[in-house]
Amino acid sequence: MSHNPQSSDGKHDDDSTLSDFLASLMDYTPTIPDELVEQYLAKSGFQCPDVRLIRLVAVATQKFVAEVASDALQHCKARQDAVVKDKRDKQQRDKRLILTMDDLSKSLREYGVNVKHQEYFADSPSTGIDPASREE
Amino acid sequence: MKDGGLENKKELENSKKQSKSSKFRSKSDDFALAIAKVAVAQVCESVGFQSFQHSALETLSDVTARYIYTLGKTTNFNANLAGRLESNVFDVIQGLEELESGLGFAGASDINRCLAKSGFVRDIVHFVGDAADVRFAYDVPRFPVVKERKGMGSFQEKGEEPHGEHIPSWLPAFPDPEAYATESTVGNGTTSGSDGVKTGLVRIERKIEWPLLNFQQQFARNGNVGDSSCVGGDSGKAWEVSNSNPYLAAPLHFGEKEVDVSPVVLPTKLSNEVASRDPVSENRFVGNHVSVLETFAPAIEGIKSGMCEYSSKQKNVLYNQRPTVHFKIGIGKKSLNTAPDFISKNKDLQKIAYWFENDNEKDDRKRRAENFMKESMECSQEPGQL
Repeated sequence: MSHNPQSSDGKHDDDSTLSDFLASLMDYTPTIPDELVEQYLAKSGFQCPDVRLIRLVAVATQKFVAEVASDALQHCKARQDAVVKDKRDKQQRDKRLILTMDDLSKSLREYGVNVKHQEYFADSPSTGIDPASREE
Repeated sequence: MKDGGLENKKELENSKKQSKSSKFRSKSDDFALAIAKVAVAQVCESVGFQSFQHSALETLSDVTARYIYTLGKTTNFNANLAGRLESNVFDVIQGLEELESGLGFAGASDINRCLAKSGFVRDIVHFVGDAADVRFAYDVPRFPVVKERKGMGSFQEKGEEPHGEHIPSWLPAFPDPEAYATESTVGNGTTSGSDGVKTGLVRIERKIEWPLLNFQQQFARNGNVGDSSCVGGDSGKAWEVSNSNPYLAAPLHFGEKEVDVSPVVLPTKLSNEVASRDPVSENRFVGNHVSVLETFAPAIEGIKSGMCEYSSKQKNVLYNQRPTVHFKIGIGKKSLNTAPDFISKNKDLQKIAYWFENDNEKDDRKRRAENFMKESMECSQEPGQL
């Protein structure tokens, strides 16, 4: 898509692409409900009677969450592969993929969100001594 | 994930400050957050996860909510910058680009790029094309629900005439005069107890308005007649309430004894002395929450110093089946603030003092009565100064 030649035509194409896309948004129902998005947008001062914009925001948010989740999934799988390499004889591959704070904070860090989680809460003198038990 | 303690602290403080200043998460947000959790869980499931840690899910849903909020804020800002009130699709795209700028997107370095063919939009188009259409699990009602507030009717609405020319008819009407009469009497402890501070505040305001003389008259009237007539019902209720919760019990009137147990001579004698002298100030105290008085402290401070000991002693009379015992009252001016704690502490003190009851108590009481006399004389000399 070159911008300078046939600029007016190019613009029309882009605009039409955009408007077509917005129209297609109405067919697609994002997983994040409209009411939730409206609530937070209203809280922030966003004013627009157009439903398509709200759908756009919902889709963008869904995309964001999906990206973060997929990054976390990759971290989780990488860790599982590492574990399996050590205990190859047991073939103890944990089939359940669990979203842990560990993976989440790693993937969120790339998006600029710093999430630091307490490893343990020391409510007794013996807490945290055993390094093997790292999961909650 | 071992981080230095200092880093943690700083970030914690920063995040606390930010959350306090932006007031992003409030109690009323719980419903929205719960919905966000469900939505995020569904998205994660479609990505491939099978289960989550609770804290991880909460964190991610919180981040999602903030994402939407930040996007809305940026969009609004962009629209305002362009001189518009309503936001545009281009505002949204610009906001999205700003949020995604950390990671970068195709065409970010191009200054003259057209927003419509921004790389980000292309990404979204691809995403919509690829992603499965997973609907939200529940039917979400429209929220927040705006409650219809039924305000107090104005003069016009009620069809009443305002009492004077200076009162416009669109103002809310005064309550019924019967409400005045019952509230100004002494024995309305049950309602004050149940309704809490608000009614007490209203009553205190009214009481401060009334002139002293008026009060005295009313009180004298009530003192003579009241015990039997207007308080009869209240005392019955008060008795039940006091059985269950002493703090909600109705206060006693002058001359009214607490329970059938242990004739307490001295307090009533004291009350009679004080009643004759300064019924006004007494009226202010009886039937009120202590905490309410705190808020009006500057107004009533002068009377307080004289009356506080008496009021706390009177409350002692309430707390049933115990001989009211002399206890060491602290500094007079402070005692009102600490009266609730004070009273609970004094239950222990009462037990102990009961065993060591002696004549010294009576001397102290007489001394205190003299103090009341002195101060009430001062108070009555300055009626206008409330």
